[in-house]
Amino acid sequence: MISKVLKKNINMIIFIMLSFLTIFFVYHDDFLYSKEIMKITSIKTEKIDESQNAFGLKEKYYYQKIKGVITNGKNKGKTKTIEYEETYSSVVTDKYRVNDKVFISDHDIDGLKRDIYIVILFIIFIALLYLIGKYKGLLSLLSVVLNFIIFCIGIDLYFKGINLLLLCIVESILFSILSLFIAGGINKKTISAIISVMVSVITLLVLLLIVVYTTNYSGIYFNELSFLTVPPEDILIPELFIGTIGAIMDVAITISSAISELIEKNKNISTYNLNKSSKQIGKDIMSTMSNVLFFTYLCGGLPIFVLAFRNGYSIYNYITTNFTLELTRFLVGSIGIVMTIPISSFISIKIFKRGAK
Amino acid sequence: MNKILMLILFILMIYIDRKRGVKLFFSLLLNFIILMIIFYMTAIGFNPIICSLLGCFIISLIILYFVNGKNIKTKSSLISICIVLILLVFLIFGMTYLSRIAGFGYESYEEINMFSYDVKIDFTEIAISLILISLIGATVDASIAVSSALYEVYENNKHLSFKELYQSGINIGRDILCTNTNTLLFAFLGDFMTLVIWFYKGHYSFLDVINNKTFCAEFIRILFSAIGCVMVIPITSYVTSKSILKLGKEKTIFDIKD
Repeated sequence: MISKVLKKNINMIIFIMLSFLTIFFVYHDDFLYSKEIMKITSIKTEKIDESQNAFGLKEKYYYQKIKGVITNGKNKGKTKTIEYEETYSSVVTDKYRVNDKVFISDHDIDGLKRDIYIVILFIIFIALLYLIGKYKGLLSLLSVVLNFIIFCIGIDLYFKGINLLLLCIVESILFSILSLFIAGGINKKTISAIISVMVSVITLLVLLLIVVYTTNYSGIYFNELSFLTVPPEDILIPELFIGTIGAIMDVAITISSAISELIEKNKNISTYNLNKSSKQIGKDIMSTMSNVLFFTYLCGGLPIFVLAFRNGYSIYNYITTNFTLELTRFLVGSIGIVMTIPISSFISIKIFKRGAK
Repeated sequence: MNKILMLILFILMIYIDRKRGVKLFFSLLLNFIILMIIFYMTAIGFNPIICSLLGCFIISLIILYFVNGKNIKTKSSLISICIVLILLVFLIFGMTYLSRIAGFGYESYEEINMFSYDVKIDFTEIAISLILISLIGATVDASIAVSSALYEVYENNKHLSFKELYQSGINIGRDILCTNTNTLLFAFLGDFMTLVIWFYKGHYSFLDVINNKTFCAEFIRILFSAIGCVMVIPITSYVTSKSILKLGKEKTIFDIKD
């Protein structure tokens, strides 16, 4: 009886054991780091101070003495005391607690060791993906990881002097081939989706370049990109472009599989009816997809808005400055989605109809 | 430039479907206004978590009822989204509290150095509310896709049992999962590109990156969007199957009485 249960859930058991091992390893991986890591053993608040900003907001400052044991490197085992200034808002400071592991350099804290939390959350995500999506879910994770690697190679090549926009175009083709083949296997559906992605991507790019050159980035506020020494205009278009590809692929594969389904169910379906059905599907996708992008992009500005607002800036001020870039991202993404609908239905219908003849 | 992009989007939406396009465009505007209200309420000092939870509820109401109409599909989606939000809020709270991703990392100092940091508002709560709002779009999307597909399945095969319906909901969800994770990943990568270039310039090692505050904040945010998306699939299948079958039963009783 027990062995039967064991056999049935063997994957599950292996997964759980592996996760615990990983978490255990990451928790004790201090020796991997060259920076010194300290485990906090006690925190003493020496003094609480209050400072008032220009708008009458009183901010509390806590002057702390943080004591801890160094856990790696040549000073391993030694205790150290660091003075730290914590604030109530923690805009740029962190609230440390006993048993936290922090990086230290000389007499300063250099940030929390966060890898353990990233790993735990990632394991939760994989577990959920496996529970619900089974192998298909894990395959989608694989395509995500592979795409991420391609992305990093692209950035690497950019630093070797290759034009970023050109790289992004090549990358986008690779992304779509890879993820669509992994998701759907090699068949007509995927091929028609890939062709649709390529056509849409190029159309979007041409449209974007036309808009950019006619308006010359008027009304776009580049502060967010300003810390790079690269001119922000060089980064913006590739960035917009990469942000949209995922959504374009999503739309293209949905439409091409729906059309293949329709043709399979009824081999004599007319082009007129196919057009009508694909338009119906497109409508449904359009509304939900644009909402996904809307919230993924637009709410990113919340922290900076709060900071600006509490410094006396108005909502209008925010919308016309920091917000513009996020809005552009969303708009370009949505244009990509909506544009892909007719393009991919046209291409899918052409490809499937030719095959049927 | 944004005005022209907006115009292009509007024209394209109308081209796809006149009535629905206009409706969608206005619902986006409405969502925008609500988003700004959430931002504003948070900034003047209301509790950010409560603000964002309420905001998420209203936003899903708009997306579901205004754009897709009020019916059994949207009703069960709404219930499922509420369940997911309630379940996730604790996980998000714990994660944000532990990983200290509140506030800004070194990479954003240039962007914020013109402001005073003495703002007397706890940025941990702001970080939580940020994660909550960003996951709502993807979650609603997955939920409505499952519930409407499930409804179609039921309409075509009325004799299906609860177990069969639930299973087909999960199957539909699996197909959505694959594409949705891609959309989210690339939306994230687009945002992330500046950061990656920054990391390359500063010669960050892999270990530096995974402990970096800005990276962790973004990564956790996108991971929670994906988790919301995955979690909503079984919950929506469950709730929709239950409510469809319940409605079906009521209908048959009604038919017999007639």
